[in-house]
Amino acid sequence: MTSSFEASAGLGTSPATYGSTNAFEPPVLKVRGINKVFSGQERDVVALESVDLDVAKGEFISLVGPSGCGKTTLLRIIDGLDFADSGTVELEGKRLDGVSQDMAYVFQDINLLPWRSVRGNVEIGLEARGVAKAERQRIAREFLEMVGLKDVMDVPPYTLSGGMQQRVGVARALAVRPKVLLMDEPFGQLDNFTREALQAEVAALWSQLGITIVFVTHDVDEAIFLSDRIVVMHRNPGQVVEILDVHLKRPRTQAEFRAEPETIELRSKITALLRSQEGGL
Amino acid sequence: MTTLSSTPEVPLRSSLDSLPGVDSEEQRASDVSLDRVKRKRVLKKNTRLRIARYTAILVFLGAWQLTAVFLAPVFLSTPIRAIVAFYDLMANGTIERAVGVSLFILAAGIVCAGFFGMALGTIMGRTQTLERALDPLVSFGNATPSIALLPLMVIWFGQGKLAAVVFIFIIGFWQMVVNTLAGMRVVRLGYRDVGTSFGMTKWEQTFRIYLPATQPFIFAGARIALAQCIVGMILAEQELGQGGLGDIVNSYGTYFQTDNLIAAIGATCMLALLLFASLRLLQRRKFPWIQATSASSRSSR
Repeated sequence: MTSSFEASAGLGTSPATYGSTNAFEPPVLKVRGINKVFSGQERDVVALESVDLDVAKGEFISLVGPSGCGKTTLLRIIDGLDFADSGTVELEGKRLDGVSQDMAYVFQDINLLPWRSVRGNVEIGLEARGVAKAERQRIAREFLEMVGLKDVMDVPPYTLSGGMQQRVGVARALAVRPKVLLMDEPFGQLDNFTREALQAEVAALWSQLGITIVFVTHDVDEAIFLSDRIVVMHRNPGQVVEILDVHLKRPRTQAEFRAEPETIELRSKITALLRSQEGGL
Repeated sequence: MTTLSSTPEVPLRSSLDSLPGVDSEEQRASDVSLDRVKRKRVLKKNTRLRIARYTAILVFLGAWQLTAVFLAPVFLSTPIRAIVAFYDLMANGTIERAVGVSLFILAAGIVCAGFFGMALGTIMGRTQTLERALDPLVSFGNATPSIALLPLMVIWFGQGKLAAVVFIFIIGFWQMVVNTLAGMRVVRLGYRDVGTSFGMTKWEQTFRIYLPATQPFIFAGARIALAQCIVGMILAEQELGQGGLGDIVNSYGTYFQTDNLIAAIGATCMLALLLFASLRLLQRRKFPWIQATSASSRSSR
């Protein structure tokens, strides 16, 4: 399925099927042969068809594709929120069956629990891990400080702006110290300025904490700004079309990266790949 | 104008007014007159609404008082006679004793109903087998007019307070089961995902995600249950005696003491209003998120 695109791959494309960045270190996350069909009343939708993916340790990888390409479904399957019809997910060589305590998820809808305070929301993952109360409070404070929300720890989350709410969502996920952070279009509902600010913050947190991030988005520039690699997906059936490397040096700044020749080339390439699917519906 | 600037209703205007040369004189003059007109209009509206409210009450009480002209007091009493009777019954402690007994019976029944109803609703909501197994029984129980069960309670528990408490318990119980279960069934996928994603056990999810998310349904159920249980309380006391409000209402009626009867009904009404207000206050104080997030289905804005 990828062969037709490999011919046109010029810029930083990983020709290997799984596209691991580092051939010597085993991938932290190994996804193999994922199939998922949603059966509808009219017709079945092939959300994912034989999807393979390797994610290297410490990598920032983005899944980009049109809505309905199964990128969110893939992320949910990796986390164990949904089950694949077939295929496997391995974390550090161990096959996962259900949810792993070593991963955390940042939701598009944020999903803060309105009956808990901001701090209570950040503590919830730690409660599930049996962390003692004093320690929970200390960790929650630490991560809220990290996202700049120390002053609103005790307020209910619905009193915060959308951008602040998603900061809490990020702090909640980071507080359990995951090896892999899964982010599902986390900034899709935010306005432009807030989104750019949060992108920069996530990039900074990623390099500071040295964690692995799998990021789902339909915003091409967002993917380029954040990622080491970009996985372009196809819809119906949901498949990996191509995996592109991003070599822009870090730290990247919102002001500069857009004008970089590599950004322009990547953007037009990804856009062309996404556009080529439009006829195929 | 100085009086206007100092009123709290127009803080912006007053701060502007303190700055020299912000607007031309006539602009300011027209603004001030606009404010005055608007303020007058709002005041007028509030006064009108207040007058309407008190007028309605006064007309009602007046009309009631006027019935004394053509109705003997034994049929309807009058507001003045009822208030005097209420005062006397309070003075000799009759009302206080009756309210004490009623409140004890009601509280015992409804607290048990709330606890066990929520417990069963929660267990059913989280265990598919139990939900399937018990669903028909719950529907059956909820559909039965519980009032019809009072004679059975008397057979089981005798002519005492226990029969009344169990009776009220049964009335409230089904409502709490049904509402808790309904809430459990519609917990947002997003909230459930949070529990799943953090690897919570089933019962951790129940207590940290499902039960809190069901609180709006539980409060709605509690309001309905309270209304039904108050009816049940009066009915049970009329049948079983025990000196509660239903009991004294019954005996005043039997002996044609209409003044006292109206006073006792008034006391019942006030007790009910007080209980509903307490429930509202509990929700507003302890669960403010219910009100805050009910306007929009989503917590983000």
